[in-house]
Amino acid sequence: MSKAKNFSVVGKRVQRVEGFDKVTGDSKFIADIHLPGMLTGRILRSPYPHARIRSIDTSKAEKLRGVRAVVTAEDTIKRPWGAFFADQYILSVGKTRYVGEEVAAVAAIDPDIAEEALDLIEVDWEPLPGVFDADEAMLDGAPLVHDDKPNNIAMHLDLERGNIVQAFADSDIIVEDTFTSMPQWHCAIETIGSVAEYSPNGKYTIYMNTQTLFNARYRIATALGVPETDVRVIQSAVGGGFGGKSCDDNNALVCAVLARKAGKPVRVINTREEEFLAGCRPRVFMKINVKLGFKKDGRIRAKELKVIADNGAYSAKAPAITGVAAMRHDTCYKYSDVKLEAKLIYTNKIPTGAFRGFGNPSAEWAVEQAIDLGAHALGIDPLEIARINAAETGYVSPHGNRVTSCELKQCLDMVENMIDWKAKRANKQPNTGMGLACTVHVSGKRHFGDYDGSSATIKINEDGKALILSGEGECGQGVHTAMCQIAAEELGVPVEDVEISRADTDLTTFCLGAFASRLTYVSGNAVKNAATNVKQQLYEQAAEMLEANAADLISRDGRIFVQGAEGKSVTVADVARARLFRHNGAPIVGSGSFDADSVLPDSTRFGNESGAYNYGVQAAQVHVDPLTGQVKVLQMVVASDCGTVIYPIGAEGQVEGGLAQGIGYALTEGLQFDEGRPLNPNFSDYRIPSMRDMPPLQHAFADSYEPTGPFGAKGLGELNMDPTAAVINNAIFDAVGVRVKTLPITPEKILRALKEKKG
Amino acid sequence: MNKKIDFTLNGKAVSRDVPTHRLLLDLLRDEIGATGTKEGCGTGDCGACTVMMNGKPVNSCLILSGELAGADIVTIEGLKIGAELHAVQKAFVQDGGAQCGYCTPGMLMMSKALLDSNNNPSEEEIRYALSGNLCRCTGYAKIVQAVQDAAAMLRSKNP
Ligand code: FES
Ligand code: FES
Repeated sequence: MSKAKNFSVVGKRVQRVEGFDKVTGDSKFIADIHLPGMLTGRILRSPYPHARIRSIDTSKAEKLRGVRAVVTAEDTIKRPWGAFFADQYILSVGKTRYVGEEVAAVAAIDPDIAEEALDLIEVDWEPLPGVFDADEAMLDGAPLVHDDKPNNIAMHLDLERGNIVQAFADSDIIVEDTFTSMPQWHCAIETIGSVAEYSPNGKYTIYMNTQTLFNARYRIATALGVPETDVRVIQSAVGGGFGGKSCDDNNALVCAVLARKAGKPVRVINTREEEFLAGCRPRVFMKINVKLGFKKDGRIRAKELKVIADNGAYSAKAPAITGVAAMRHDTCYKYSDVKLEAKLIYTNKIPTGAFRGFGNPSAEWAVEQAIDLGAHALGIDPLEIARINAAETGYVSPHGNRVTSCELKQCLDMVENMIDWKAKRANKQPNTGMGLACTVHVSGKRHFGDYDGSSATIKINEDGKALILSGEGECGQGVHTAMCQIAAEELGVPVEDVEISRADTDLTTFCLGAFASRLTYVSGNAVKNAATNVKQQLYEQAAEMLEANAADLISRDGRIFVQGAEGKSVTVADVARARLFRHNGAPIVGSGSFDADSVLPDSTRFGNESGAYNYGVQAAQVHVDPLTGQVKVLQMVVASDCGTVIYPIGAEGQVEGGLAQGIGYALTEGLQFDEGRPLNPNFSDYRIPSMRDMPPLQHAFADSYEPTGPFGAKGLGELNMDPTAAVINNAIFDAVGVRVKTLPITPEKILRALKEKKG
Repeated sequence: MNKKIDFTLNGKAVSRDVPTHRLLLDLLRDEIGATGTKEGCGTGDCGACTVMMNGKPVNSCLILSGELAGADIVTIEGLKIGAELHAVQKAFVQDGGAQCGYCTPGMLMMSKALLDSNNNPSEEEIRYALSGNLCRCTGYAKIVQAVQDAAAMLRSKNP
């Protein structure tokens, strides 16, 4: 019997609510916002990876005609801020720690003048020795990025669950290897930008293309030293986020400081080069040593992981990301005894941070290859190894993650059929191979305080249409459409009768925003609860009008009637007006909240981190040209368990888009550094997949229902970024018998490995 | 150096006094207020700024105002036919060809350029024609589908 349920709006192929504006050019992105008198802000950035600032002379820049403000750290309160550790400033205080760091800024009446003014700022630099490699940074005597962090260690995790020595002793075979991942840039086609306005009463209004408005407000208020209420953040249309627009950078802060000093609205939009140097915080790069012990029958008996993660110069969300890399995968398979050690290390490079997958892609790059190593060592089909170990509903991980729905085994069956796994393996062609990997992700994560909740308000207008007020925001993924569907389903109205507001910290209630694949699940539950509240109010009024009991009423297609007596009904609009336009009338408006049934992990990081876990499997067939090392992905298949699919077009888009980023991560994306200086901060050298780089893809969703989700839904957004690099490398190994151990998997590295194999 | 430039924008005559080094992209967005055309890189690598110039797609971030004299420019604002969406716009809405929508104006202009010359492109031809237009959200599957559907709509109108 199917687990999925039938709904009237949920799961239907509705169109995107912003669809029209997106194809006419009418969507207002950050660069499309023009306020009267608005100035252009530009930022002076550090040319050195590590340098002391002896002095800054801005006098010449100030005198240039058309310049309205020049700011340095002296125009700020010099209070450090940061997502988990307060270690960065709005503008450099005393020294700079990476190439691109914000040192000073200018606001002028046009961009040419602003640029010219930057050239007139005189900085007296004293270059300092830097440290660019995490291993070297830990050595005694290495230059310190932050004086108060001995050996440049930002964080050190060391945990054991069960008895790892015993577990390895019990194992029949042990495999071990080290895999290195690379930083990866989000490359949203729209760069980060802000438009800020300061009013003399002390209030900042900042338009941002952020994916996390209230976190942005909190950080901005902290760094500026003002109460949160004095900062209003309004979300513009967002041209892609992927974690990069979660406000760990200084763009909006510099913009706000300029606006205050200039007394005029200012806009600061990153150029593409700035976005690479100091905009979005790229994926944390990690060196991961993984050791797995297996029983002869394929069961995993022991797992040990050693992670060295490169933090860059400031911390952003890397501490949480490193934890995820070390632990999340233990919710994918049934593990008993695990040990992990993770070190997060400061270096003089761009700060790293949140990117779709949040540590999981680096970890799965390593662990899912180790599983493949185990399968080959045991002579068991990799798909069978996955099946033997796959988590199931009811599984509790060694770290306390409780799995309330899991269709990983179903996903394995689906992938097996879609790619014709058995037949293709039986009929193996030269230099052609098959690989697969499994993945797990969360639906929200409890780590910003003891809260992973959301709230929403719904009001019914006089014409019977519903408006959702939510502060979670829309960053391009289509969540607003899913929220309208959830509200419509619960209210019993057509989806066209539901609208959703733009997120605005002054007008919407507190929301954490778009990260951790949380919105469909967490915000969806809040919206559903708000709709239940509103429906109750509608029923009470309708009961009066229909002379019936509220408990006997139902609504469908915007009409409310007594169950079984559809002939006599009232419309939602009639009810809303009847309730409002009368003596002592009131609008119909209701709120709903939801906080996931997760717990804040304790000091040993034990505790169920999320309300629900989503699962997936990917498989690939590749061909490797042994003469050139070129990899051609012949086919990819994907199965995803995200519970009920609310908005199919959007969900499919998440799978297809996530996979494209996974393919880029696997094969082409890598920024080269020379002494901390990025060498290729542009799209012609940092290559993200184009339309011609995408392989034929087939994908499907598992029949699944998450009992705690809104209409059975859970998260999806990050899942399909996570395992792709391992999938492709496992297939390459199957094809030609070599493994490249560092990302990206380039033809040169494959050729080198083939040569070494030949000896 | 400022110069008076006369050209046609979306069927209307435009006359502007602008520095000759001003980029077409900035002219459109900042001086004329036609902000539908987007900037993704400013170096000719992403296609977000694609517009039609004399019937051919160009990256407006690489065109100087000085080159515009007498040119016929069509931007996303000129793609609709009266109040009605162009087939390629309709197909993008219907198929979910836009996620964040930032690459979309450029993607639509490039798709229109393709369909103007070939109303029955193969998947291969679509992927080739649009390979200079980067999208970070969609993985392109729905864009390819939308262009195919738009081609079918156009063919059924003008067989
Ligand atoms: S902005 Fe013109 S090609 Fe990218
Ligand atoms: S839809 Fe976001 S870049 Fe293409």
